[in-house]
Amino acid sequence: MDAKQTQAAIEALTHLRNKICNRSSIFSFFSDSPDSNYNKLKFIVSNSVTESCNNSVLLLGSRGCGQVEVLDLVLEDLKVEYPEIISVVRLDGVLHSDDNCALKEIAKQLCSENQLLFSKMASSDDNTQFMMAVLREYGLAHKTVVFVLDEFDLFAQGKQRLLYSLLDAMQSVSSQAVVIGMSCRLDADQLLEKRVRSRFSHRKLLFLPPSKEDILRLLKQILTLPEDSTIPRDYVITFNKKLHNMFEDAQFKEILDTLSDADSSVHHMLNFLFVAVCNMNLESGYLSVENFKTALLSIQRPYKLESLQGCSVLELYILACMKRLEDKEQYSYNFNSVMTEYKHIHDSYRISDYYARNVSLRAFEHLLQRELISFVDNRGQNQSIEFRPVKLLISSHELLQGLKLYRSCPALLQKLMTGELNKMKAHLVDVGMID
Amino acid sequence: MDKQNSPQVTKRTTRASASTKPSKNTLPNQKKADHRPQSLLDNLVYGEQQAIISQDELISNFPGRKCQILELLRLFGPINSSLLPIFLYGGPSSGKTSIVLHIFKHLKRPFIYTSCRTCHNPRLLFESVLNQLLLHKKDSSNAYSSAKRCEKPADFVNMLRESLMEVVNSLRVNSRKSGLEESDEQGIGRMVYIIFDNMELVRDWDKDSVIISMLFKLYDILKMPEVGLIFISSNSPDTYHLNTGSVEPIPIHFPEYTEDDLYHIFLKTQRGPKLYSSFLDVVLKDSCKITRCIDELSTYFKLLFEKYCEPLSGIGRVPNQDLKSKLYMHLKPHVTPSLNEVFRVPSSPALELKENKEKVGKKRNMRSLGDGVVPDDIDFHMSVSAKYLLISTFLASRNPATLDAALFDSAGGGDNRKRRRKTSETSIQQKENAEQELLLKGPGTFPLERLLAIFQCITSVTDGVLEEEQQEVDVLGTEGGDNGLMSDVLLQLSTLSNANIIIKGGNCPLDGSSRYRSTVSEEMALKVARSVNFPLPKYLYRK
Repeated sequence: MDAKQTQAAIEALTHLRNKICNRSSIFSFFSDSPDSNYNKLKFIVSNSVTESCNNSVLLLGSRGCGQVEVLDLVLEDLKVEYPEIISVVRLDGVLHSDDNCALKEIAKQLCSENQLLFSKMASSDDNTQFMMAVLREYGLAHKTVVFVLDEFDLFAQGKQRLLYSLLDAMQSVSSQAVVIGMSCRLDADQLLEKRVRSRFSHRKLLFLPPSKEDILRLLKQILTLPEDSTIPRDYVITFNKKLHNMFEDAQFKEILDTLSDADSSVHHMLNFLFVAVCNMNLESGYLSVENFKTALLSIQRPYKLESLQGCSVLELYILACMKRLEDKEQYSYNFNSVMTEYKHIHDSYRISDYYARNVSLRAFEHLLQRELISFVDNRGQNQSIEFRPVKLLISSHELLQGLKLYRSCPALLQKLMTGELNKMKAHLVDVGMID
Repeated sequence: MDKQNSPQVTKRTTRASASTKPSKNTLPNQKKADHRPQSLLDNLVYGEQQAIISQDELISNFPGRKCQILELLRLFGPINSSLLPIFLYGGPSSGKTSIVLHIFKHLKRPFIYTSCRTCHNPRLLFESVLNQLLLHKKDSSNAYSSAKRCEKPADFVNMLRESLMEVVNSLRVNSRKSGLEESDEQGIGRMVYIIFDNMELVRDWDKDSVIISMLFKLYDILKMPEVGLIFISSNSPDTYHLNTGSVEPIPIHFPEYTEDDLYHIFLKTQRGPKLYSSFLDVVLKDSCKITRCIDELSTYFKLLFEKYCEPLSGIGRVPNQDLKSKLYMHLKPHVTPSLNEVFRVPSSPALELKENKEKVGKKRNMRSLGDGVVPDDIDFHMSVSAKYLLISTFLASRNPATLDAALFDSAGGGDNRKRRRKTSETSIQQKENAEQELLLKGPGTFPLERLLAIFQCITSVTDGVLEEEQQEVDVLGTEGGDNGLMSDVLLQLSTLSNANIIIKGGNCPLDGSSRYRSTVSEEMALKVARSVNFPLPKYLYRK
C-alpha cells in the first residue's frame, strides 16, 4: 500500500513539475476574460490578417509577466484559425541586436518557412532585398508575416536600421505584416529615433503582474491534480482535498503575501511553486504548508548577509575598519589606510585578533572576491592592490545585522560597529585606566 | 583535502578519458542511433563497472553538505521530470562542482559540463557545448577542430537547438525501448542537463553582458522542457548586474564550511586520525578566524603538521595529555611564521613575485628556518648597477621631485635633517594629511630623465664604495668607472621593468614620454641598499 502511495506521489510530482515548467499553458488561465491582453492582442493580429493591413504593437511590462507566453498562445490559436497564411519570424534582442545578424536570421527563417534554400554567403544587402521581395510576395498572396521582436529595447541601440527597414516596408500598400515588440522597459517606444517612431503605430499593451486574488486562483489551478489521468483516483481526491484545506490556512496566505510583496510576477511565483513542489515529502505524498515555507526561504535569500556569514573574523575586522573610516567621513581609502585603522584599533583596544600585513592582505583579497568590497574604478590597473582605492558594497545596516547573526563574533567587533566602544573608552579614560 | 579534491579530479578525468575511448568500447549490438547520448551511455557503463554511488555514500563523501545534496536531489526530482534553471553559488572550494558531478553519477542521467574557466571566450564555450552534444572529439585526425564553427550567440542558439532536438529524440527512443525491456530498471530518462561552471568569469570577458543574459535566458529561448540548465558560480546572483534585469534562476547556496565541518573534512583525509585530531584541536579554532577556505587551510596545516610531528618518531602513536602539551609547546613558535608564509599575496610586492619564481627552494628553506626574522642579505642575484638603479627608482618614487636638488647637491646629501621643523597645530594637521595622502596615493611616477639624474648622483656619491666593487667587475673584463655603470643602464631598466619591479605608468600628457613607477617595498629597498653599502635612509624624505 505504502509503495503504491509513493509511486502515486512520484507520478503526481512529475506531473506537477512538468506543468510548472511549461509556462505558456499556465498563461492560458488569464485568457478567458474579455478585456484580457490575450483577447486584445488576438484582435489586433487577426484584424490585420483578415483586413490584410499592416500593424505594429508593443507589449510592455516587467519581466516575467507573460508577454512571450500570451503572444505564443495567440499565434498558436491564429495559426489554427487561419492555417497557411501566417508566417512567424522570431528575433531576440539578446541574440540579434546586431543588424546584419538580425537580417540573416530573418532571411533564414523566411527561407525555412517557404522551403527555400538559405545561402549562408548572402550579404546583408542581399538579405534585405530578399526580405523586401518576400514581403511583397506575401502581400500579393494575402499572407501575413508576423515579426516578433523580443527584448525590443535592445534593437533600439545603434542606428536602428532594422527597425526602420521593417517599419518602412509596412508603409507600402503591397506588404502585409505585423511587428510585435516585447520589452520590459516601459519607455521602450521613447527609445526610437524620430524617423522610426513616426512609422510606428503607437499601440501598446501593458502587462501587469497578477493581483493577489489572481495568484491564488492561479495556484489552485496549477496545483490541483486532474482526476482523469493515470494517477490513482483516490490519491488525487485526497491530494486535492488537502490542497483545498491548505489554501484556507492563514499561515499559507501570509506566505503568499510575503512572496508577492517582493515580486509578484508570474515567473517568480512559478519558481516558488517549483521549489515548493520539489520539497514535497514523497512518503506522506502530500503538499504541506511547511513545503511552501521552506520554498519561500530558499527563493528569497539575503545574499549579502549570507556572504557575511561566510567571512572569517579577520575579514569582518577589515569591513568594520572600512566602516569606521566612512564614519570619520573619509570616503576615499585603500588597503593601507584600512591597515592603519586596524592598527589603531589594535593599539587602543588591545584586540587579540591582530594579524600580520600579509595575512590581512589575503583576507582583503577574499573580500574583493566575495564582492563585499570593490575597487572604486578600473583605472590604475598597474597599481598594486594596496594602493587602489576601494569602497564598501554593503550597507552599514546589513553589516551590523550580519555581525549580530555571526556565530562566535568577538564582542568587541560588535561594539566597534555600534559606537558603544567610544563610550566605553571615555569611561576608561575617566577612571584613569588608559590615557 | 586530498579526499575533497580527488573525487572531483577523478570524475573529470574519467569523463575526459571516457570520451577519448573510441566508441568501439560501447556495446556492438546497440544501434547507431543509440550511441548518440554517449555522455550518458558512457557514464552508465562506467557506473556499472565501479560501484554505483548510493545516496548515503554521496552524503558521507561530503561532510557538512547534507542539506545541499538533499536539496539538489529534490530539485532534480524523479526521472523524466522537468527542471527550471538553477543557480548554485558559494565560495571557492565549497564543493559545488564536485557535488553536482557526483549527483549525476548517482542519478545516471545524461549531462554536459562546461567550465567558463577552461573555455575562456564565447567561441570556446559554445563549441565545447556543441562538441559534447554532437559527441565530437578533438583529435589529430580532425586537426583539433571543433564539430561546428560558432562564434555568435545567435548561431549558438540555433545549433544548440538542433543538436539538442536530436539528442532528446534519441533519448526518447532509448527510454521507450529500455522501458519495454527492463521495467524495473529506470534507465537514463529523457532529460539532458547542461552545466555551466564558473559563471562569474563570464562577466569579465563579456563587457555588454550579452552572453550572460543569453545564458540565463536560454531556458526561455529554447523552450524545451527536456533541457535542464545548471549554473555554478562563486558569486551570489545579486552580483550579476544585468542591464534590464534578467530571469532569476532558482538559487541554491553552498555556505562556507563551519568549524565542525572542517574538522571532519580534515580528519577524513588523514591516516592517523587520533594524532591529527589532537593537532586540529590546537590549530583549527585560531586559523578559522583568518579564513575558512579549505584550499588555504590545507596548505597551512600541511606545513604545521610536519612541525607538529617532529618530536615524534612514528605517526601511529596515540598522544596522551602530557605528550599533547609537549607537542603544543613545540608547535607554538611556528604558527605565526607559517601563517605569513601561506597567506603571502603573490601579486602585491612585485619583487617577491620574482623571488618566488627564481629561488623557490632556497627561499622556502630560509623562511621556515628563520622564525619571522628577516634575513639581512637579499636572497637573489642582481648586478651592482641594477641594485643602484633599483635604489634610484625607489627614491624617485618616494621623494618629491622638488627636493631632488636639496638632497643631491654637491655636499652629497645628509643635510636634509637641518630643515627646521615647526610643531604647531597646523603643521601636525598637515603632516597627518600628507601621511594619509601617501597611504592613498602609493608610489609616485617619474620620468626617465629624473631617474637617470638620480642614478648618476648616487653612483657618483658612493664612488669610493664603488671602486672596490668595480675591481671585481674589472676582473671579469668589463670596463670600470662610471661609464661602465651608465652604459647599460637602459638595458637594466628594461630588465627591471620586465621583472615587474618598475612598472610603466601612463604617458605624460605634455611631452608624451612615458613615466615609471617603482613597486619595491621600503623594506626591500633598504635591504638592497645595505648590500651595496649605500646610506639610503639619509636620502629618504620623511614628512
